[in-house]
Amino acid sequence: MTGLKLRGVRKSYDAVEVIKGVDLDIAPGEFVVFVGPSGCGKSTLLRMIAGLEEISGGDLFIGDKRMNDVDPAQRGIAMVFQSYALYPHMTVRENMGFALRFAKKPKDEIAQAVNEAARILELGPLLDRRPKDLSGGQRQRVAIGRAIVSHPDVFLFDEPLSNLDAELRVHMRIEVARLHKELATTIIYVTHDQVEAMTLADKIVVMRAGVVEQVGSPLALYDDPDNLFVAGFIGSPKMNFLAGVVEQDTVRLPEFGNQSIPLGHLTHPPAQGSEVTVGIRPESFKRGGDAGLELTIEIVEHLGNESFAYARQSGGQMLTLATENGRSLQPGQRIAARFNPAQIMVFDKSGQRIR
Amino acid sequence: MTRIFAQLRLGLVYGALSLAAFVSIFPFFWMLVGTTNTANDIIKGKVTFGSALFDNIANLFAQVDMLQVFWNSAFLAIVGTILTLAISSLAGYAFEMFPSKTRERVFAVLLLTLSIPFAAIMVPLFVMMAKLTLINTFTAILLPSIASVFIIFYFRQATKAFPHELRDAAKIDGLKEWQIFLYIYLPVMRSTYAAAIIIVFMANWNNYLWPLIVLQTNDNKTLTLVVSSLASSYYPDYGVVMVATVLATLPTIIVFFLLQRRFVEGLTGSVK
Ligand SMILES: Nc1ncnc2c1ncn2[C@@H]1O[C@H](COP(=O)(O)OP(=O)(O)O)[C@@H](O)[C@H]1O
Ligand SMILES: [Mg+2]
Repeated sequence: MTGLKLRGVRKSYDAVEVIKGVDLDIAPGEFVVFVGPSGCGKSTLLRMIAGLEEISGGDLFIGDKRMNDVDPAQRGIAMVFQSYALYPHMTVRENMGFALRFAKKPKDEIAQAVNEAARILELGPLLDRRPKDLSGGQRQRVAIGRAIVSHPDVFLFDEPLSNLDAELRVHMRIEVARLHKELATTIIYVTHDQVEAMTLADKIVVMRAGVVEQVGSPLALYDDPDNLFVAGFIGSPKMNFLAGVVEQDTVRLPEFGNQSIPLGHLTHPPAQGSEVTVGIRPESFKRGGDAGLELTIEIVEHLGNESFAYARQSGGQMLTLATENGRSLQPGQRIAARFNPAQIMVFDKSGQRIR
Repeated sequence: MTRIFAQLRLGLVYGALSLAAFVSIFPFFWMLVGTTNTANDIIKGKVTFGSALFDNIANLFAQVDMLQVFWNSAFLAIVGTILTLAISSLAGYAFEMFPSKTRERVFAVLLLTLSIPFAAIMVPLFVMMAKLTLINTFTAILLPSIASVFIIFYFRQATKAFPHELRDAAKIDGLKEWQIFLYIYLPVMRSTYAAAIIIVFMANWNNYLWPLIVLQTNDNKTLTLVVSSLASSYYPDYGVVMVATVLATLPTIIVFFLLQRRFVEGLTGSVK
């Protein structure tokens, strides 16, 4: 098993810097997910690891070896692309065996590797078909199979599921997780979908505009985000952000009729009168909390297992509330939305978390 | 009432189509009929098969070294097609796959040259070939055509449909750039190549003006030149001309039918 180390890795296209110095350690066998909004540089970073893009600055280590200038085929990686990138003129079997055939490996060794991959991914009946005769999900499995055959040290996935429909996506997500268990290989997986990131990752790397915002386990990022961006990106539905002003031990919320909520749990409370952003997750609203906000419900959505209520003070900002026992909620109803003040998060004006 | 109109319309459509079919097929038919008739009958406008076929064939082979002429044409067309496709498809691929500002400008200049008619560059080209002492050689025919701007442009457009991720996948599988071109691009783009083969082969096979100027001795003449000189002799024997014309037409028809399906795919631009 092989780990990776990135040290001050940068990438510029002409004058534009799209990766602005990334430091990252990936442990052997770890499942790492790069997540972030579209255009933040996830694919570029992954392609630099693969050797498909030149590294403009910094060092990339795979294992103990500096790989900046090594050919993609010599890096011990395999990649699965969003568009699958199967060779259209070859059968599934030929596609999967191509790299080995090209490396002049003996025929029976290739056949064995292909059959092994076909077994793991249940591709047996498809081996003699062409990619154009396969469904999207089957193509994706073949693409993964092609990656498995070369026994890489590191798997790279670039948004592998985003061309599939919702149901298949969930199914393939589980396949990928199972694969990681079975192969126990290091995986770097790029997605813009935070649900995929939360469910698959040992470690999530949240990126924005070419910068790593935070690295941590899924639950660590959910429970303890470093900044406004990570707090807003991780978790669904999105965290509520309320503008507030610090007054003694409380935050006054102008958008909510100047109601205030206690700040007692902070070890480094912000200065009096400073403007802050208060974050409350929709699922933090619970009966019996020590603090509360007077709100009027405007819209209710019932999903069966839980309900979402969208509520505000007249004219003010809309808040999302998620609750498992909200079937009786009605639009127009006035409620006191209770929550535990220890669960709120406070961010300063630059978006950094105040703890 | 409307039924009568509908039938009338259908009749008109069929009438027009039949006329178009007749206009396009009749020359071929007449060519075939002509091979079996004497020059006199052809001039009189006889449109039924006659019995002079073998005389005409014998006359043609007596007048012209057909084997040599056919070989000349075939050699120029086949070698020319291979060279043109090799050079021009590589160029088109490179222009699309490795874009840069400089290359973009070069490409724009190349496209501009499409608007210069061949007649305008014919004389300078001839002088160039003369200075290189290439007059009356096949090299003089092949050299100016192997970098075909039209084919470069055609391949550049077709390459836009070639997925870049295939190249990335091939790199990870260990292929070098030239291997990617040979083992991935070429087979994936075979419809495009088929269409280009037909276009270039026909152009080479039917090439008339430039060979007429450059090829000067009889042993170098091509079939097109021979047909034309037979037809423009003092007393043209049209029966013989028709036999030569049939021989000149056959290869293009064969190539077209062999590659027909791919030709259509190639023109409609499908990467499968
Ligand atoms: N070849 C390129 N030339 C110039 N800019 C590029 C190139 N490839 C990507 N970029 C830019 O780099 C940024 C990151 O792109 P990408 O890594 O594809 O984002 P993501 O995968 O996170 O959606 C984008 O702003 C994109 O416009
Ligand atoms: Mg991307």
